[in-house]
Amino acid sequence: MIKNQIELLVALQDLDIMLQELDEVMKLGFDMQQEGKEKLEGGRNELIEKINKPLVGLYERLRARYKRAIVPVIDDTCSGCFMKLPTYLITLAQRDQEVITCEGCGRILYWI
Amino acid sequence: MEFAEILPYFSEKRFIAELQATTKQGALEELADKFVDSDLIRNRDILIEMLQRRESVGSTGIGHGIAIPHGRTTATAELTVAFGKTSAGIDWNSIDKEPVKLIFLIVAPPSEEKNKYLPMLGTLVEFLSQEKNRERLLNTQTFEEFKQILTD
Repeated sequence: MIKNQIELLVALQDLDIMLQELDEVMKLGFDMQQEGKEKLEGGRNELIEKINKPLVGLYERLRARYKRAIVPVIDDTCSGCFMKLPTYLITLAQRDQEVITCEGCGRILYWI
Repeated sequence: MEFAEILPYFSEKRFIAELQATTKQGALEELADKFVDSDLIRNRDILIEMLQRRESVGSTGIGHGIAIPHGRTTATAELTVAFGKTSAGIDWNSIDKEPVKLIFLIVAPPSEEKNKYLPMLGTLVEFLSQEKNRERLLNTQTFEEFKQILTD
């Protein structure tokens, strides 16, 4: 079960991407309930209620600027701006519990 | 995209010749575990959440015994596919209400440089629209056989 703020933010971004691409996916032959989009939007509101307001604000600002607010960290590098991260400063526990942003571009980082 | 071009997204590590699961949820979890086992995803819950949400807006069962659950998640860095087969069939609430026997779980990162996710999904749907391909896949037992079907 998804429990912490960073996981909720990731679920929110996944849902937003799904909403953006739903029409394209349906064109490929997938069925969609008439109320499908409304269901997703309802789920989005429920998720937002569980996330701290300042974090939602940060997410929305980053999304408006970059399209993707949260980016995976690949080989200690931000996959948004490709800046090498000083990961030795970030403990494994912090990665899972805290919202950490890239010093280069400000995007929220997610360790996969 | 040619059919053979989708082959590199599959792997023997994510190939299940006979699923243990007997339910849609069970099959999604069993296939999701393959991504975790091959170190493509650390947090299985995030993947499952995304897949359940996708199913909630419309079944990914496209008929003829095929399901293609799919979606982008921030929890992965690579576009990859897991394949599972079940001879018993699983109720997937498909378009034609037929039980599903061939399941392709496609997982994509939030964005990709080459933007292959939707073309790959479309190519797979086209490949599976051919009855001979479906029949051959139903009889496949090994990943080698599976690869051969995609490249023929």
